[in-house]
Amino acid sequence: MSARLFPVARALAYVAIALVACAIVFQLAGYPSAGMFAAIVEGAFLAPHAIVHTIRWAMPLFVTALGVLVAFRCGYFNIGAQGQFYLGAIAAGLTADALHAGPPVLVIPLVLAAGIAGGALWALWPGLLRVLSGTDEVITTLMGNFIAILALAYVTSGPLKDGSGSGEVAAARPVADGLRLSTSSGVSLSILAIVIVVGGLMWLLVDRTAFGVLGSLAGRNPVMVVWQGARSGRIAIGAFLFSGALAGLAGALELLGPSGRLLSGFAPTLGFGAVLVALVSGLSVSAATVASVFFGGLAAASLYLPVIAGFPAAAIDIINAAITLVITARAWPSALRRRASASS
Amino acid sequence: MNALACDEVTVTYGETVALREVSVAFDPGRIHAVVGQNGAGKTTFARVCAGIVRPTSGRLTIGDQPVPVGNVRASRACGVELVHQSFALPPSFTVAEALEFGSTRRTNLVYSRRTLETRWRTHLEALDVPARLGDRIRDLPVETQQGVEIARALVGDAKLLILDEPTAVLAPLAIEQLFARLRRLSASGVTVLVILHKIREVLAIAETVSVLRAGRLVEALVPRASLDPASLARAIVGSADAELPAIGAERTSADAEGTRNVALALSSVSTRAVAGGPGLANVSLAVACGEIVGIAGVEGNGQRTLVDALAARVPFAAGSLQLGGHDVTGVSLLERRGHGLRIIPFERNIEGLSLASALWQNWSARLLVIGRLLRLIDPPRLRATSRTVLERWGVRFGSVDQNAGTLSGGNAQKVVLAREIDDDASVIVAAQPTRGLDISAMAFVWRALREARDRGCGVIVISSDLDELFDISDRIVVFVSGRIVAEFRPPYDVRIVGEALTAAHA
Repeated sequence: MSARLFPVARALAYVAIALVACAIVFQLAGYPSAGMFAAIVEGAFLAPHAIVHTIRWAMPLFVTALGVLVAFRCGYFNIGAQGQFYLGAIAAGLTADALHAGPPVLVIPLVLAAGIAGGALWALWPGLLRVLSGTDEVITTLMGNFIAILALAYVTSGPLKDGSGSGEVAAARPVADGLRLSTSSGVSLSILAIVIVVGGLMWLLVDRTAFGVLGSLAGRNPVMVVWQGARSGRIAIGAFLFSGALAGLAGALELLGPSGRLLSGFAPTLGFGAVLVALVSGLSVSAATVASVFFGGLAAASLYLPVIAGFPAAAIDIINAAITLVITARAWPSALRRRASASS
Repeated sequence: MNALACDEVTVTYGETVALREVSVAFDPGRIHAVVGQNGAGKTTFARVCAGIVRPTSGRLTIGDQPVPVGNVRASRACGVELVHQSFALPPSFTVAEALEFGSTRRTNLVYSRRTLETRWRTHLEALDVPARLGDRIRDLPVETQQGVEIARALVGDAKLLILDEPTAVLAPLAIEQLFARLRRLSASGVTVLVILHKIREVLAIAETVSVLRAGRLVEALVPRASLDPASLARAIVGSADAELPAIGAERTSADAEGTRNVALALSSVSTRAVAGGPGLANVSLAVACGEIVGIAGVEGNGQRTLVDALAARVPFAAGSLQLGGHDVTGVSLLERRGHGLRIIPFERNIEGLSLASALWQNWSARLLVIGRLLRLIDPPRLRATSRTVLERWGVRFGSVDQNAGTLSGGNAQKVVLAREIDDDASVIVAAQPTRGLDISAMAFVWRALREARDRGCGVIVISSDLDELFDISDRIVVFVSGRIVAEFRPPYDVRIVGEALTAAHA
């Protein structure tokens, strides 16, 4: 087996182990596991519109996962993608609300830029704390998620509150129709084009820039690059900024695309889904496309299972949890050892 | 009757022969020294004797009884104990725990600190180790850690105590204390086998001396009385050995003192202390183009600080640094590299290479750090260039995509050399460049540094091995406690230089 294919085989093996474990759990819980998996495949790919749902979820997962992947490659465990996604969405929402009467051809780029900036800023402070005082970014980015959740609740029930809503879910005023990039299906040529361009740019960043290669060296041995004269602080800040910017862009796309408005607590599992995609893909941009479609399919199936097939949607949570367990059991000990040895 | 005998012991690692048909029988109750240069096979020899390394061929016996080879438990059961070069005690253990769990006695699953401390108190006191049983290993000074390690080795019924380079980590005063302790042990009937490479120390402690050179035992059990420093130095270096040119030889470039340009000049530099040693105190050092300056000193006397200061990792509290006439006192390492400074760092596997990264990335790092971070690079070309360069340097590798961690120590060091000794290098700082390398890799490193010197580079070599410095240096300066205390030119006298290393304690 060629060295290039080995990570792919390994990722597939992880997923396979997790699925076998899930089959056992389903069986023990009294559900036929074969039927369950068949329903999931149907809900993800075969049922009418299933493929659209899958792609709808695969796209934000992919964009956010690219950000996670850049940070992870550089050795920074930014697990605040959810919060950065929300802050991007908030910045985009505020911009879209303020400029709702402007010409869409100008306003849409501004809204996307605001999303990118919002996400990047929400990753910047953990990055600065890490570089300046060594504060563990696992803690700060995780905590940042909770602040972001509350910030979104505030914006949707305060400044941008939609007076006409039922009040069950805090919801902001919808963005102007002219600014929308897709219908509620979430799939449109413009979003697809943006996602493909972003994917290409990130491949360039990771594989074809000094930042990408130095970052991956720094991620594996932060001491060595400093002895080569690298400005490791800049690499770190760059890693956090790119990471947050992509999550923020995903937030802006969610707003202008399927959601059409800010909702308190929308897409609540996207950030952790993105971490999963990044880890399953072995931190490779090309593999992240496949992994995104896989997890996007699971997300689509989680809507299909209870409504059409009569299975509990928790099945998808179990699968996600099982994959998380298998991946982290393998990946984290070595990563943590590296951090420990690097900081001593 | 002997304390331990080796019969035709040979150890090979892949293509490298670490020990070649070594036969020797150590008398009981005496202090035996085994000496040799770095890479001569001393540590391998110690490990074979202690049962850690299984020899490729050969036998061990104690008295007439054969000892199973390559079996630590069996060796310990026969009373053979090894004190490692770098201490193997768990830093988080208390002294009592280290003694309890480092011994071969059966331990209970449940224990209390107090019972352990009662059990080991007399033992520790008998050996006069100045530590409390409740102290954590990590809080003890190195010489006390070593004392505990020796105490640990002696908890059983040790008949033969092997110490591998026990003086490498010690200050001169602590070395005296260690030697006094070894003499007491010897007087009480324990046979001591001590691995050393410093001639002074050998002559101070040993009753018999055996010399390893390139894996062969060239002198066996020579009585101390018949040795003097010069004859021992000759035995260790082996003047006929082609790989190890005699002192001061091979000076090819014109030796026109005074006309050469200064490559690097430190002027009255002082710094704070670093983790690995004291701060620099008013250090002035000029290295000319085409000159190799050796930095001698007991480890931990400011060598680490010097390299950290040159690498801009420790700021100068006072003084200045010039590279090729440019003042680079306050600038970053990157800018200093731009002026031709290259560093072969102490820790090859941490500071020198990223073991989990591809060879081409490790080699390209020096280019990647220059310029804007977001500029596009051409990985296929970097791969091709690094392959060409690594092949030219004789690195044995399959693909430039393989991780640096897959290479042997000597090969890995060649990757570092290939990266640091380039055409734009004007000053090369080599910190312990041959540590852990076999003899042919050592010769390769020395040749590379000499060639760089002959091309006009100023070279600084830091080594705790005087013999290495004598071989390679055009001039030697001695560091004690962060100061330059002496300077020597060839021909070097091992006795005088050796005294300078420890002189500051008088």
